[in-house]
This record gives sequence, structure tokens and C-alpha cells, in this order.
Amino acid sequence: MNINILNTTLGVCLVGLLVLSACEEAAIPVGVDNTPITLDTISFPVVKAIAYQSPPEMGRTEYLYFGKQDGFDFQYNLIKFDSTSVTANTPFSYFNDSLIVVDSLRLSLRFDKDSITSDAEFQLRYFPSGGDSVFNELESNYLNFNQAIASEIISTAQMEADSIDTNKTEVYLNFTLDSSIVNAFRDTSVLEYNRSFLVELANESSESFYFHSTDIQAGIKPELTVFYRQFLSDTVVLDTTSRSYLAVADISIITPAPISFEDSTTLSVSIGKGLKSIVFVDMGDWTLPSKSIVSSAQIIFNRVESDSIAQFKVISHPMTSEGIYERFTSFMDDPYDEDLNFFTSTALIDNVLKINHRKAATEIGHKNFTNFGFKLQSSFNNDPFTTVQFYGINNTDSYPVMRVIYVLP
Amino acid sequence: MFSRNRTIISLLLLGVLNAQSVFNAYGLGLSKSTHHTASAGAGSIGLVPTFHPGVSFDNPATWPGLQFTYVSGSYSNRSIEIGSQVSSNYGNGFDKIQFVIPIQNRFAIGLSLKPVNDHNAYFKTDSTRMSFQGRDLTFNKEFRSGGGILAGSFGFAIPMNDRMGLGLSFDKLFGSSRDEESLILNSIHYRLFNIKTYSGSVFNINYAGKFYDAKNVMVTGYARISMTSEPVSGTQYQFDLFEDINDNYSFDTDDYPATIDVDTIKVSNIYAPSSFSLGLNAEFNNDLNIFGEFQLWNDQATNGKYTSIYKDQIGSKSHVGGGLVKFGKMGARSWQDRITMRFGIFKESYLLKNSGRKINENGITVGFGFKFAATGNQLDVAYRTGARFMTNDYKESIQEFTIGLSLGDIWFLRRREK
Repeated sequence: MNINILNTTLGVCLVGLLVLSACEEAAIPVGVDNTPITLDTISFPVVKAIAYQSPPEMGRTEYLYFGKQDGFDFQYNLIKFDSTSVTANTPFSYFNDSLIVVDSLRLSLRFDKDSITSDAEFQLRYFPSGGDSVFNELESNYLNFNQAIASEIISTAQMEADSIDTNKTEVYLNFTLDSSIVNAFRDTSVLEYNRSFLVELANESSESFYFHSTDIQAGIKPELTVFYRQFLSDTVVLDTTSRSYLAVADISIITPAPISFEDSTTLSVSIGKGLKSIVFVDMGDWTLPSKSIVSSAQIIFNRVESDSIAQFKVISHPMTSEGIYERFTSFMDDPYDEDLNFFTSTALIDNVLKINHRKAATEIGHKNFTNFGFKLQSSFNNDPFTTVQFYGINNTDSYPVMRVIYVLP
Repeated sequence: MFSRNRTIISLLLLGVLNAQSVFNAYGLGLSKSTHHTASAGAGSIGLVPTFHPGVSFDNPATWPGLQFTYVSGSYSNRSIEIGSQVSSNYGNGFDKIQFVIPIQNRFAIGLSLKPVNDHNAYFKTDSTRMSFQGRDLTFNKEFRSGGGILAGSFGFAIPMNDRMGLGLSFDKLFGSSRDEESLILNSIHYRLFNIKTYSGSVFNINYAGKFYDAKNVMVTGYARISMTSEPVSGTQYQFDLFEDINDNYSFDTDDYPATIDVDTIKVSNIYAPSSFSLGLNAEFNNDLNIFGEFQLWNDQATNGKYTSIYKDQIGSKSHVGGGLVKFGKMGARSWQDRITMRFGIFKESYLLKNSGRKINENGITVGFGFKFAATGNQLDVAYRTGARFMTNDYKESIQEFTIGLSLGDIWFLRRREK
């Protein structure tokens, strides 16, 4: 009897404890007074802002451009190929072997469309005397590149269709090259040969042609194919085989379209026109409280045009030197270096651009970084020939402003 | 016998979480007054006998009155309801684990492990709205704290004469706690953590004496003086605020900023408890006991520069309580006669150091203990209901259910000569 009572009591107590232990622990609601960690805000005016022009930077666009379009003149394209092949990592020095005979080379560019719309002829040059480097994808432009260092025309070609299957056709521009070209590539007297070509239209055209560049996200990059045979003995030779080399850098050298009045009087950005803008946010002697964290530090811009636009992103960095804000200026080189550690890329939404520069604002607020202002430029993923204009500081309603929200411990 | 009940003891120790309270966010939290279930059943601070006639597990001076060596564990489960809040908050955890060996009815030694303070709190604020140049910002805050100080205690009892005894105990204080503060803005948590470790010690002098012994009634008196031997010091790790982008409660590579600093700060003299306690018990010949207790507790720490959610600390506490205990008889034939009945009522007042505000707590307790087996095993159960409140501020309704199991065995006791 006693043992039964004990066991029952023990069981009830343990079950009760365990059941209660499993209950959820909910937060107790309390008032906000006297609690630590707070939110604070501050707004800073943009006191200086101006657009400027520098030569177009076309090295990271998704296409290589030929012809003319909307006032832009696409002069020629420069392409550099990899030093080793896609398969087998074969270097060009491989073809120095006396048992290897190069038959020909082919340089292929993938046309943006799936049908041939023109019989335009293209021509190809290379740089036998160009040494180890011919162009810089990030710096070369129509003002600083000398086309005269290229060779004579080594090949011409027209676009041709390549039927993948019954439903799909791809259009390529295929240049066939003489095997002698490979001699320059395999020359061991130059430590790292430039492996570069210049492609241009044979004749001026009012049309424009887009070909996939090495920066395209989904497409076929420029490719150089070497066809060769290998002799196993004086009499035994293997069938022709090939190695493919992909482009590692390319750029369209273009002459920008004329700058409009709106381009120069608003905060405008465009890759093709080389338009960028700089703004100076007057943050005064603002100090971010110690241990605080900036939730957002948005510089807000309103687009001048009210129509809808395809996705457009703006890249922004803080500058590392003072800006000149007196008037719109065209520069031979971009005079404003930026701190790449504070890169931001912001999409335009509902014609409002909100660039969150909280990392830069944090460093400025902690006095670790000098506020020289911020630079705006078009993202390389945008259509390079689209210009977007934002209101400047003279607009009474839609002027730019910086709004900072931060949390204090 | 100990091994037979090992499973039960393990089950009792499963939980480690005390019920939360807003008031636990002040400094190191509220200090615990009661540890053993027998004391809890009578609302006692542990001075007067509540476990067995003449014996309190929380008063070493009374340990020689034990007839057997005991291993004892107490485990509580508590629900707290805040104001008019619909749902209650639950928490549980062990209150004490103890091992006591009486030696020849004159001496005793014991070891115990018990939580010293209650630091568990989890609360959130209502949403706050503010307009920032036409943009509405809505945010609220959440706070959590947990962990705290444990005491590993060694005590022994020695007789002064045939009417009085002394019990000395040394408490090694140790442990760690963590508190988290977060602000939630647009569903993104901005968090910071503080982790603290503790080390210190306290010694206690306990007294038990027989003041009056007549045919029908015996009056005994009890006292305790607790003093800090080594004020609690420790290390405080303060993590910088960060944006918990993936909301996983810890800082990692997905969060902002990319790196955060951790300030490691040595802190000393942050907790130095001292107390003076008195108790009187009148035992009548029908095994009915009436007792009263009084305690003054004070934190004499000089360093208040350690983090807590609320920037204030518990500075002192007073306790007044009394109750009835009717002990059961171990050898009784009827099982009803083996039950110890307990009833108590108490009032406590905590005073905050900086603001001078007072936290009042009161409670009514009932409990019973059931003796079983020949070696004095006892199952104790206690229930407490009460309230804790600060004037013009939060009011908590508390209900606590505690269970304790004490298992006896014969060690170092005089055996009957054959």
C-alpha cells in the first residue's frame, strides 16, 4: 500500500515537472523606458554636386560593339586570348615542337542575334610588334589607344550561320588565319606575348552589330582555335586536331555621342558617354557614437525622367580627393579616384535611387576616413548607351539628401 | 539504495532554467532566499527546522540532528504572470544538491551546490514608431539574460555544549552569465552580447541553541551571519553591436560589420553579500512547530561598473516570515502519520542601489514531506503562490512548485551493539 502511494506520488510529481518544463518561455512585454540600446537618426544635406565626362570605359560591357548607334561611333574592338587552351591547358609554346604542324587558326565571335541581318564585312589585325601588352581593358579608350600599332589586315570575314539543330541557329563571325600567325604567339623571345587582335568593320556602316564579349553572363565568349597535326614519325601522322583559347580581355573602343544640355546640368551617369557625377554631403563634424552601428546611410536621388526604365544600377564609391564642382567638365582621364573598399551597387526603383553608404558613413563618423564626397557611375551591367539623369541640388523638391539611421548600445 | 534512485535524481536535474523575471535584469538579479524543498514548503530562509525535528538542511548547525547520511536534491518549476498578461512564463531548474553526513549525533559535514542568484530574464518592448523625414520607422527591443552565480559549499557542524551547536560553511562562488540586448528594425536584429564569469567566496557562521525546554514546549533559536570572504570578481566580455543579418543569434561572416571587437574587462568587487539572520522556533509536544524568521541582506560590492540590462542593482534585502510545521514520524504505522505538513507566509523587500526603488515580494507556501523506507528517505513537495512588484511598475504573480528527494543511508553512525 505504502509503496503504491509513494510510486504514485513520485510519478505525478515527475510528470508534472516535466510537463511544465516543456512549456514555452515567452517574452515578457515591458515599456521602452529606461531600456538600453536605442535608435537615432540624422540627415545631412548634399551641398555640392556636378556631373562630368571622361572617356567611356567599355572594358566590362557584355558586348563588343561595331558600327554606329544614336550618335555613338563604335570604332573597333580589341581582344586578348588566354595563354593556355581550355582543354589540356596547352600553351602556345607547345606548337614549337618540330613534330607539330599548325594548319590554320580560327577566331570566332558570337553574334547577338540568331539570324544574319547584314552582309557587312569585318577585318582582323594583330599586334606582332606589340610586345607583352597592347591594351588595358579598364583604361584603354578612343583618346589613349593608338590603332596604328596594329598589323596589316590578316583576315576578313562575314557573319555566317551555324545550325546547332533543326530548331536553333547561331550566327558567328569566323576569321580564318594563316598558320604563320601562330609564330608570333609561340615566340619565346617575348616572355608573355600579347595574344591580342583588333577587329573592325571593313567599311563604315550606319548599322550597329553586337557580339558577345568575355564579360557576358550567359553567352559564348570570343574564341581562338588552333588546328594542327602531330607527326609520330616521318611517315605516320595523326588526324587534324585542335586546341581552343578563350578571350580573357576585350574592349570596344568607341567615340561617345554628343553631350546634351540636360546631361551637363543634371547629375547624369552613362557608360557610353562617359558621364559620371560627384556629390559632396556636408557631414560637418558629425561623430558616430562609439560602438554604434549604422543601419543605413542612404544618399537619395530622384530621377529627372518619369518614364519607366529597365533595371538600371548605379555604382558608387567615396572619393579619395577633393572634387571640383564649379561647372561640367570633360576630362581626358577620370580625375577622381575612389576607395574600392566601399563599393556599392544600387538599383533604381520607382525612379528613386537610394545608395546605402553605411560603411563609408561609419568610417567617416569614426573619423577614420575623410569625407571628400561620393562618385556615381553607371553599372557595367547596364545598357552602356542609356543615360540616366538625377536632380541636382538646385531642384527645390527633389534635391539629393543623405539620411542616416543608426543604433546605439 | 543510492544507485537505485540515481535515475530519479538525474531526471530531477534535467532543467537548468529558472523562471524569468523582469527584476532579474537588475544587476546580477534577485538573490535566492530558499534552496531546499523542505524550507520552501514553510516559506523559510532555512534557519529553522523544516526537514526533520530539529533539522534544516540549509542550516549546518542543525545537521547533527540527522539520523542518517543524506543525499538530497531539490528541483523547482515556476510560472510567472506579468500584470494582465494572458499567458504565463515558465522556468525550471535545480535549487540544491546536497550531501550531508552526521557523525555520532554531535558533528556533521556536508557538501552542496546551489544557485545564488536568479538572472534569468526575457522581455521585449512594445513597438515604437518614429517618422524620419517622411519615412516611418518601427522598432522594438528584446532583452535576455541567463546564467548566474552558483555556490559550491562545504560545511560542518560542531557542538558548543549540550544545548548549542555551531555550523560553519564556506561557499565558493563561481559561474557565468550572458545577457543579450537587441533592437529589431524592419525585422533585422541589431544585437550585442555580454558574457561574464564570476569567482568569489562567502563564509557563514550558523548557530542553533535550545533556549527553553519544558514539558509541553521547547523553544529553540537560530542565527546566521554571512560575510564575504572574497568579493566576486570576474571577466566581462563585451561584444560590439552587430547586425544579425541571418538572425542566427551569433556573429558570423554573413553579418554586418565584417568584424566586431570584443572588449575583455577584468572586474572586481562586483558582488559582496553579507547577511544577518535570526529565527525562533517553538516546538510543542504534539510535534507542531511555530517559527518566525528575520533576515537582513546587503550587497557591499563597491564596483557597479559591470553590464546588466537595467543599469541598477539589488543593494539590499529584508525578509520577515513565519509559519507552522508538523513533523511526521518515521516509524509510524499509518502512512498519514509519516507526513510532515508545512505552512508559511513571508514578505521580502529588495532595495535598488542607485534609484532607491523598492521591489516587494510576498508569498504563502504550503508543503508536505513523506517519509519512507527504514533509512529516513523523504519526498518533499512545496507549493508557493505570491506576488512581486515595484510601486507604479511591473507586478508579477508567482506560482512555484518544488519537489525534493532526500535519500538516507547509514554512515558514521553509532551502531547498536549486538
